[in-house]
Amino acid sequence: MLGTFWKEVRGTLSRVVKHPYFGFILLGVALLIVRRFAELGMVSPSLYKSISSMMIYSIIALGFSLLLGYAGLASLGTAGFVGLGTYFIGHFSGTLQKPFGITLLVALGGAIVLGAVVGFVSLRIEGMYLAIITLGLSEILKEVFKSFTAFTNGVTGLTFRNFMMFGKPVPDAAVDQAIILVFVLVIIATLNIINSPTGRALLAMKNSDSAAQSMGIGLMKYRLLAFVLATVYAVIAGLLYMADIKFSIPGTWSLDFSLNILAAVVVGGAQSILGILLGVFMIFGLNMTVLQNIPFFRQYPDATWILSGVLIILVTMFYPGGLIRLLQALRLKIILLVRNLRKRWRKYRYGEDD
Amino acid sequence: MFEKLMWVLVSFFVVYFALDLLWFRKRAKRPIYQQRLINILLPIGILAGLGIAIKEMTVYLFLQIFLLNIAELCVLILATTGIVLIFKTSVTTNFAQGTIATVGAFTAAKLVIYLTKNTALTMVPKLALAMVASALTSFLIGLFVDTVIFRRSKYLSSVGKQMITMGLVLVLLGLMPLIFGLLPLTIEQFSYDGKMIQLTEEMILYVPDHNILTAIITVSMLTVLFLALRFTKWGLGVRATASNETVAGMMGVNTRLITALSWGIAGAFGGVAAYLYAPLGTQVTVSFMTSVQVNSFLASVLGGFSSFGGPIVGALLINLFASISSFFNSVWTSVIVYALVLILVMAKPLGLFGKKTAKKV
Repeated sequence: MLGTFWKEVRGTLSRVVKHPYFGFILLGVALLIVRRFAELGMVSPSLYKSISSMMIYSIIALGFSLLLGYAGLASLGTAGFVGLGTYFIGHFSGTLQKPFGITLLVALGGAIVLGAVVGFVSLRIEGMYLAIITLGLSEILKEVFKSFTAFTNGVTGLTFRNFMMFGKPVPDAAVDQAIILVFVLVIIATLNIINSPTGRALLAMKNSDSAAQSMGIGLMKYRLLAFVLATVYAVIAGLLYMADIKFSIPGTWSLDFSLNILAAVVVGGAQSILGILLGVFMIFGLNMTVLQNIPFFRQYPDATWILSGVLIILVTMFYPGGLIRLLQALRLKIILLVRNLRKRWRKYRYGEDD
Repeated sequence: MFEKLMWVLVSFFVVYFALDLLWFRKRAKRPIYQQRLINILLPIGILAGLGIAIKEMTVYLFLQIFLLNIAELCVLILATTGIVLIFKTSVTTNFAQGTIATVGAFTAAKLVIYLTKNTALTMVPKLALAMVASALTSFLIGLFVDTVIFRRSKYLSSVGKQMITMGLVLVLLGLMPLIFGLLPLTIEQFSYDGKMIQLTEEMILYVPDHNILTAIITVSMLTVLFLALRFTKWGLGVRATASNETVAGMMGVNTRLITALSWGIAGAFGGVAAYLYAPLGTQVTVSFMTSVQVNSFLASVLGGFSSFGGPIVGALLINLFASISSFFNSVWTSVIVYALVLILVMAKPLGLFGKKTAKKV
């Protein structure tokens, strides 16, 4: 009786552990614990701040990977979209003190419209030219941020105060928890998109437009979808950025930001979620947690970009799959090595097989 | 009368454009008459629009604003030519063009400071030396980038190569503060005077000396480049490499040397452009060439990458749009220009003068 019960429990457990969501939910729980530690003072607040920034950057990078890694569309408009998200929440929830629901609706609506417009452009303009055109769009958005002072407060930057949700001001702790929740949810959503027919259609489109079309994949639908998804991710990340950092200035949303996101996606591995998390850590996390404590980098903060740039160049030239492939290859090597050693040990212990 | 005619022409273009965007494009293959129609309507629409705007702002003001903006136009043309030259040989869009040029401008600014401190040279030879230094630095960087990076990544896709240039931007942006310090530097103009041009009794136009000099330098550099492309062995090699690199290599063209030289010359063009752009009301900072870079990309897309002349026309158009819209609304100038360029590119995705290259599967 008890035996079968334990068997069932073990079966369920192993099924739960093997579920693709399990690792990411565990990551979310671990992050919640780290946040609790930060509250108790065991983890320094600045370290936790950089962890939550890393989560926000990961959300942007996941959206960008749907474009670059799956649909094969190189876009440089990321910075503009994230900036738009920050100004949406800064204006509607901050300056006008509207309820959060309205902000979210407006932001998502804006993201969908903008993404559809860019997707429509991408139907016309392909390959290398798309990066240039999206760069132009991003510059338009940056100019709008600079000039449309009623909405963005111009070049002096927009400061965000506490905002209201359900008639109460939202405490910082809730924002931190919301970031973790959205981070995990976005990962799960991405996982679902990647493994669904949509993800496969995007991949097919990346490899060959004509082949995908002849298999019945509508370019228009899936390109628009890819851009809408990436824009929605970026705008959500923008909302979280503003809620977390509470300050947004047009200078942040320039080409460097888009290039750093691109670096994170390319360096980590554009087709794997773990790879993107690794890439975000290499490009942003290493800088914020380790390099900032070295006096040289504190004097020249831009010097960390050298690392990102060199990593992009090396990975693109020699390891197009990204660093995650390198790690996977290393893991395989170690497994083979262990197997080999065990074989040798058996040979030594029990003698040759005849 | 004139204005009414122009409005009619513009509205023709707009109506056709809307139809084209919403309806004609959905067909699998466009008939030839539609292509011809848009090829005729596009220049007419642009010219009519420009005509209305110039009439609105009076010819005198238009000429004056154009002459004041001529230095920026020349800078844009130089930067665009560099980008197209690299596109021809390496089949990629070089995002690092502006950043490589910025390194040249920094070197020039530092050299001016050094020469002022240690020698008794007068202003003009000092600045001329600095310009040569700027071009030379960018030339060497271009050469270095090609020999170290691009020679080894010949078989990457063009988007992959583009990403390498983006990485290069980040590397150079990080390196510049280490080498040249964190403070912005300044480059002086050759002279702060100007010339008066008397057109008629009451029309007197003013041209700054710097603009005249910039125009002379640009025109002479472009002339030398086009003559070289047409008549020298290097030019023949560039054209052969542009049409097919492998076959050119098999026919005995030293494609490595050609590509390296093209990168170097493109860098030098950028260096001169940055040097001439720096005194126009900006300081030499790490990102002062970004707007020129973006504009020259848009100019090359607008003109089409397949010819050398097209992007120059694109640069001219962008400058015209900018100077006209700065008269009507100075705050939203760049937004208007970018939007116009985007609309035009939507109408002709390969650029105004682009040719479609047939792809064999």
